[in-house]
Amino acid sequence: MNDQQHMLSDMADGLFAGLGPSATMEAHWSQIEALALSSLLLPEEAGGFGGTWQDALIVFRLAGYHALSLPVAEAAIAARLAAGTGLEGRGTIASRTDGTVEGDCFTGAVHGAVMSEGADFIVAPGPQGGSFLVATAGGERTPSVNLAGESRDVWHFESVPVAHVTENVFVMGAFARVAQIAGALDAALAMSVRYVNERKQFGRPLAKFQAVQQSLATFACEAAAANCAAMGLAQALDRGNAHYEVAAAKLRANRAVGIGTSAAHQAHGAIGFTQEYALHPITRRLWSARSEFGGDSHWAALLGGRVAAAGADRFWADLTALTD
Amino acid sequence: MQTFAIEALSWPDNGADLRRQVRTLVADHVHPANPADRTNCWAVADPAFSRTLAAAGLLGMTWPKEYGGHERSPLERYIVLEELLAAGAPVGAHWIADRQTGTLLLRYGHEEERRRWVPGMARGEIFACIGLSEPNAGSDLAAVRTTARRDGDGWVIDGQKVWTTNAHNAHVMIALIRSEEGSERNAGLSQFIIPMDTPGLTVRPILDLTGGHDFNEIFFDNVRLPGTALLGVEGEGWKQATAELSLERSGPERYLSCLTLLTELIRAVGPEPSDCVRALIGQLVSETWTLRLMSASVAAQIAQGHDPALEATIVKDLGNSFEQAMPALIQAAVETDLSSDAALPIMLGHLLQVSPSFSLRGGTREILKGIIARGLGLR
Repeated sequence: MNDQQHMLSDMADGLFAGLGPSATMEAHWSQIEALALSSLLLPEEAGGFGGTWQDALIVFRLAGYHALSLPVAEAAIAARLAAGTGLEGRGTIASRTDGTVEGDCFTGAVHGAVMSEGADFIVAPGPQGGSFLVATAGGERTPSVNLAGESRDVWHFESVPVAHVTENVFVMGAFARVAQIAGALDAALAMSVRYVNERKQFGRPLAKFQAVQQSLATFACEAAAANCAAMGLAQALDRGNAHYEVAAAKLRANRAVGIGTSAAHQAHGAIGFTQEYALHPITRRLWSARSEFGGDSHWAALLGGRVAAAGADRFWADLTALTD
Repeated sequence: MQTFAIEALSWPDNGADLRRQVRTLVADHVHPANPADRTNCWAVADPAFSRTLAAAGLLGMTWPKEYGGHERSPLERYIVLEELLAAGAPVGAHWIADRQTGTLLLRYGHEEERRRWVPGMARGEIFACIGLSEPNAGSDLAAVRTTARRDGDGWVIDGQKVWTTNAHNAHVMIALIRSEEGSERNAGLSQFIIPMDTPGLTVRPILDLTGGHDFNEIFFDNVRLPGTALLGVEGEGWKQATAELSLERSGPERYLSCLTLLTELIRAVGPEPSDCVRALIGQLVSETWTLRLMSASVAAQIAQGHDPALEATIVKDLGNSFEQAMPALIQAAVETDLSSDAALPIMLGHLLQVSPSFSLRGGTREILKGIIARGLGLR
């Protein structure tokens, strides 16, 4: 990390640690705005912070680490995509579109809109690729939530005007989830390590049992893999093309979710399964994030299909060409 | 908590050129083409190919020119390694010398010994092996009992090493030996450089479960060495060997032993495989992509002068688990006649049998996880 990234990290860490999973839009969003975090990915010439995707990784990862219940990542991505479209205010993103775009007019539904109540516009995947932006003023919201109780709304629109952008909001949303998974796994690992060092059974801390040590060591490897995948994807986005890497990274992060959440709950025993204990805001977010912006079947079919179509003699050459 | 220090990686500018050079070399070299030899290829010795690589300046790449090296960067070397492994090239003969023995000699060796061995290693003419395990010292390495006692200016070695990979091809060994009589555990150990043709040293093959000859047992009976054979500081052998293990554990061979099997799978199933095979390819490619970044990140940290021992351990454990799981996953996804003589079943059959060793060699899974647990603050 460079100096600016250290500052960004310290700032986001301090703020998110205080807000955590119980923050609300009404009471706390102004604190996000005060630090201009939603303009993180907006170019400087558009009045933003002009951050890179590696900067975004720092912030999104910390949002995951602290199970932050505010749409920082979604607002930052939406603001970037809205640059030059004339849409203003707080934007958010959606993961699925079910409808048709004719010219600049959309009729249909968008699903998985993140904390969209009170948002000014939504960016959704375009039915023919790219993304489109739609003002919420012309639509009707049906509230819905994911496993962690996070708002994921459905919106219906009837012949409303939209703005098109070529950048792919689905890829960016997948990046946000990979970064959050990376952070959330590190948080669950830290909680698990702390817990097994404190909790005693058979007259000694759980941490002294080899079975417990080996399980958390496996977890640490998975958390490391998810974090490296997130970094690899951020670098690819900064290079300007991440079609290969987004599939690889989301698949790897998703795999880590399964192994990591199992290990975290097993280490905690029954207390980790209670509503009062702070593990579930992390693990329920992880289980939700595994599906959001593409689950395994989506990304594995895409990546596997691409590699198979290119053929055996291109496989390694294409993989290494990503970084050369 | 962040257990893996992740830095954005900068690859060398000449990476693509270097890859082309290696790919051409591998394509031009005719190796007896048993498809099984393209798997786990860093256990396949072909001295002629080692000399070819050396002639192209691709051995001892990071060593000083004064000792026959080429003063290239560690990431340039990393690119060459991953290309060789991805192609399944027969690199077993020189692998250990190039990876750790030469580097260790340059770091700790007596000047006479450096001059004697390192340039030959860079020429692909001197091969090496590692003397760590003993019959009663496997994972519990600090239990080594082979002894070195002073004899005038020199030393006399007595004892036994076992599971010594490549000893039958090697000209020289670096061994961890108890040099202080009556010392216990990791105190009183020293490293020695031992020519394999020294009188009193015997090598006996141990065949693996496929009948293959990869490792050996070594007997030392009154083996006399000059004073220059002591490597580094007397009594500091444990510390030096631990640092050596970072070199041994961190390379791309810890996740790429089966890559050629994945390539062969892609070839065998063609451009439009079934949904199930396509999904498996996607998952395996995802894992390969991630491990490559992790492995290269460790190489980059070593290049900056850090000792990322914990990161190296994590990569080895993940890599071994991946390459060990892959043969069974492929066996489950495609119907294969393991008695056929097509490339895919031959490679698959070989890897199903040898892959149990992947999480044994270079430190067992249990030892690695113990190191990671210590890094987490659990021990």
